[in-house]
Amino acid sequence: MNLPIGSDPAQIMDASAPIIQLTNVGVRYRMPSEKIPTLKEYLIRAIRRQITHQTFWALQNIDLNVYSGEVFGIIGPNGAGKSTLLKVVSRVLRPTRGRVRLRGKVAPLLELGAGFDFELTGRENIFLNGAILGFSKREMEQRVDRIVEFAGLQDFIDAPLRTYSSGMVARLGFAVATDERPEILIVDEILSVGDTEFQMRSFERIQDFQSQGTTILLVTHDISRVESLCERAIFLSHGQIVAQGNAAQVVDRYLGRIHQQEEQRLLEEQSNEQTWRWGNRKIEITQVEFLDENRQPKNIFQTGDYFALRIEYEAHEPVDSPVFGMAIHHNDGTHITGPNTQFAGLDLGCVNGKGWVLYEVERLPLLEGLYKVSVAVHNWADNEMFDYHDRNYNFRVLNKNGNIREKYGMISLHGKWKCYY
Amino acid sequence: MTSEINPSYEYDSQLLPQPAVNELIELWRYRDLLQLLVANRIKTRYKRSVLGVVWTLLNPLLNTLVLTIAFSQLFRFNLPNYAIYILSGLLFWNFFSQSINDAMDTLVWGSSLLKRIYVPRTIFAVAVVGNGLVNYLLALIPLGLIMLVMHQPFSTALITLPLAILILAMFTLGLSLLVSTVAVFVVDFVYIFNVLLSVWFYLTPIIYPLSIIPQSFQPLIRLNPLLHLLELFHTLIYNANMPDPRLWGLTFIMSLVTLIIGWLVFTSKVDEFAYRI
Repeated sequence: MNLPIGSDPAQIMDASAPIIQLTNVGVRYRMPSEKIPTLKEYLIRAIRRQITHQTFWALQNIDLNVYSGEVFGIIGPNGAGKSTLLKVVSRVLRPTRGRVRLRGKVAPLLELGAGFDFELTGRENIFLNGAILGFSKREMEQRVDRIVEFAGLQDFIDAPLRTYSSGMVARLGFAVATDERPEILIVDEILSVGDTEFQMRSFERIQDFQSQGTTILLVTHDISRVESLCERAIFLSHGQIVAQGNAAQVVDRYLGRIHQQEEQRLLEEQSNEQTWRWGNRKIEITQVEFLDENRQPKNIFQTGDYFALRIEYEAHEPVDSPVFGMAIHHNDGTHITGPNTQFAGLDLGCVNGKGWVLYEVERLPLLEGLYKVSVAVHNWADNEMFDYHDRNYNFRVLNKNGNIREKYGMISLHGKWKCYY
Repeated sequence: MTSEINPSYEYDSQLLPQPAVNELIELWRYRDLLQLLVANRIKTRYKRSVLGVVWTLLNPLLNTLVLTIAFSQLFRFNLPNYAIYILSGLLFWNFFSQSINDAMDTLVWGSSLLKRIYVPRTIFAVAVVGNGLVNYLLALIPLGLIMLVMHQPFSTALITLPLAILILAMFTLGLSLLVSTVAVFVVDFVYIFNVLLSVWFYLTPIIYPLSIIPQSFQPLIRLNPLLHLLELFHTLIYNANMPDPRLWGLTFIMSLVTLIIGWLVFTSKVDEFAYRI
């Protein structure tokens, strides 16, 4: 269900008030600025009032309303405060500032099997885990059979948990946590519990909850999931909300930010890296750049974009008919192409001093992925290498918002489908 | 989409009662977990040993045997039925010291659960004291056996023993909460407190009679609250008498005050536990 951009979900949803409401929430962590080794020193410093705590705000000014039945995404880089936000909603942390209001029972799928005791049997652990999740013994007695069945552990349930495989433990934890439909479900990363069959069943169960009106708070790095599952999302960075609203738009903002950073990183890598390079340097390759149609340097392309490679060189002595070439490798090592000026029928004649060559592609056929480029210059007979830079230049291709919708394999042939009746 | 919202699950971080009261309410809500924590600890403790619960019974017997032989020969205190004197004191001490140590351990080392999922924070300390109580009650069986063997009279005052145990448990829980709060903030405190405990052991008349302390030191050593609590147990078990009402009153008020202070300190710092990383 995609909401129109800018619409107020409260008018569309049945519930009048948000089921999760965060008002100006801030969480401040305290870390001793240095480790105080002993009580004696602690007391000395306490008396001198020298115990300074470094405080840092893991969350700041968070205003958030999630309505009943929504699937709400939380995205952001590591350390952005996503986990802290979940802790605040699951009551583990009381906010230092602001207000958190929940109108329903929260089931955190953050810590499956919290407090499991491996010496106890599976059955005993069901009761223990259920009690930790806040259910009474009587409630658990009614559920235990259902839980065992869902976890598929009928044959092992009276054996100590230490004899279980890690998959079995996780299945049991999931089965206990999701036995009853909660009003609010907190999911940290899409669950990969147990084998494929169990993963499917657990995913189905969550979908069932959702269709019955459970609100889901989803944290994940899998951006495409957020786009496909969530109506709305927030983008957290350094403890603050950077973007909030329609999931697709928030994801775009997030990806934009990531790509900016990666472009930076790729550029830095290029300039810092000790190049794997050989050749006698009669002609030296001095700079290699990827360009867009405006001849501006760029490292992130989309399938179908204009793409150009510029090789700047300096010939230290006159060289007859050198050959410039390049090779594109996929990140997985596959050699995709290796064009050069000779294959293209281009004889450069006698070269001396500085200059540059350009390799242009009108519509880049490569699909999403990271590509590594080698460049070389050698003589016409290909028995003397002047300069060779092996896979030292990277560019990335995204299919995000491109005209090309293909997604399998490495290249698009720009082919056309026709249909005859 | 309809939402049948269960009103009992409303949570508002600003409308929570006072931490001390809130914690009490939450502890009541999680009473089934408390019961399980106590039961499971006992289960896991004895599950993998052949003799199981027998060890709990055997351990104090063997301890008493060793101490009785050692001290009655060494010091020649003028104490008839020294074994009963020492065993009643040792059980008292074990309950007290083990509970406090366990409480610190579960909170300092076992706090990961508290940072991952919501449970009332006092629940571990209370469970530890509950566990200590169960062990204490089990250990009363060998004590009873020794009393039978040594023809020690069982006074009718013994029916008030549960009250004495309750007073001791209150004191132990209060102190556990207090020292675990300190231990969370100063990790070294666990070790320091262990040293303090062993000193405290010798300052309490467990292996010796109070009468060997010179008269001039008596007021000083009587500042030790454990001394009065122990007197309660000695009077009931060893002297087979009803303790003085003033002793009851003193120990009860002392324990209640300790519990209240421990509870207030612990719960006022409770939200900060999770902020520490």
